[in-house]
Amino acid sequence: MNKMKKTVLFVALLVASGYVFAQKKTTTSAIIGFDATTSLDALPKAENKTVIASLDTKTGKLAFEASVKGFNFENPKMQEHFNGKGWMDSEQYPTASFTGSIINLAKVNFTKDGTYNVEVAGYLTMHGVKQPVESRAVITVKGAAINASSKFNIKLADYSINGGAVAAGKVSKEPVINVTAVF
Amino acid sequence: MTALNKKPVVKKWLLALLIVLLAGTAVIWYLFTLKHDDTATIKADFTVEAVPFLKEFETDLSMANKKYTDKVIAVNGTIAEIEMADTTANIKMSDTTNGAYIIFAFQQQHLPEAKALKVGDEVSIKGVCSNGAFSSILETNYVTFNRCTINK
Repeated sequence: MNKMKKTVLFVALLVASGYVFAQKKTTTSAIIGFDATTSLDALPKAENKTVIASLDTKTGKLAFEASVKGFNFENPKMQEHFNGKGWMDSEQYPTASFTGSIINLAKVNFTKDGTYNVEVAGYLTMHGVKQPVESRAVITVKGAAINASSKFNIKLADYSINGGAVAAGKVSKEPVINVTAVF
Repeated sequence: MTALNKKPVVKKWLLALLIVLLAGTAVIWYLFTLKHDDTATIKADFTVEAVPFLKEFETDLSMANKKYTDKVIAVNGTIAEIEMADTTANIKMSDTTNGAYIIFAFQQQHLPEAKALKVGDEVSIKGVCSNGAFSSILETNYVTFNRCTINK
């Protein structure tokens, strides 16, 4: 009986320590900014504030999931175009995602406050096309909070997005993507 | 036809061209300066309770998306979590049995309302349903809302 109690206690401690020292941090309020403005059109600019993100501080694995319809444009007509067939076709491809990891994870000390410059590599899937991406990112550790941010360009043609507005130069062929997540 | 007879015709054409140009400019100006309406002024297409609403997405995601996507919906429920960031405060309602959740991003002018809420508050939030999906990161269903306000 005593042995059984010890076993139960050991298992309970093991489970509890798993929760306390959980390495996978998540948020459902990461922000992705999308800026495809050009000199001809300042409207194609949007933000999605309900992006799901995860960061595994042990392995450096990073992941993001965004609902395409969650991108909010100031101009409703632009939002309609963005979701339409000529652009993101959000009815057929409702989500965009990224899975990857921090390449130089050894540079980051998640237990010490500071700002760490890192390299991230992985795959971005949107409009039904999966492409490799690499980008610089900044990890800021402050107390228990970890802030991750990155800014990079994508080529719309790589994701089979070649609508009329893109061809006419009203939408940047290489929009800027801004990602911020607080874990 | 003499040159004197031609002048009124040219004038008419110039006037017509001017009207077309002005009308075109007005339409372009309207489209470029168009903004989303304040959600507080829009009547909700549906009024739902948070947990049964989530169950509809769990039962048939495709059907629920067809029914609710892009619609203005008032959701009644209990605040499970508030996620604050520099520029935003997202409110969450959840199904405690499986972790499925609804997340509400507030319209800029209504952000102070979101920041004043507390976990456990019973509220009615009105917003535009973006869509519902399954998260492979969180392994649960979720529904996102944009341009939200407190439903008064």
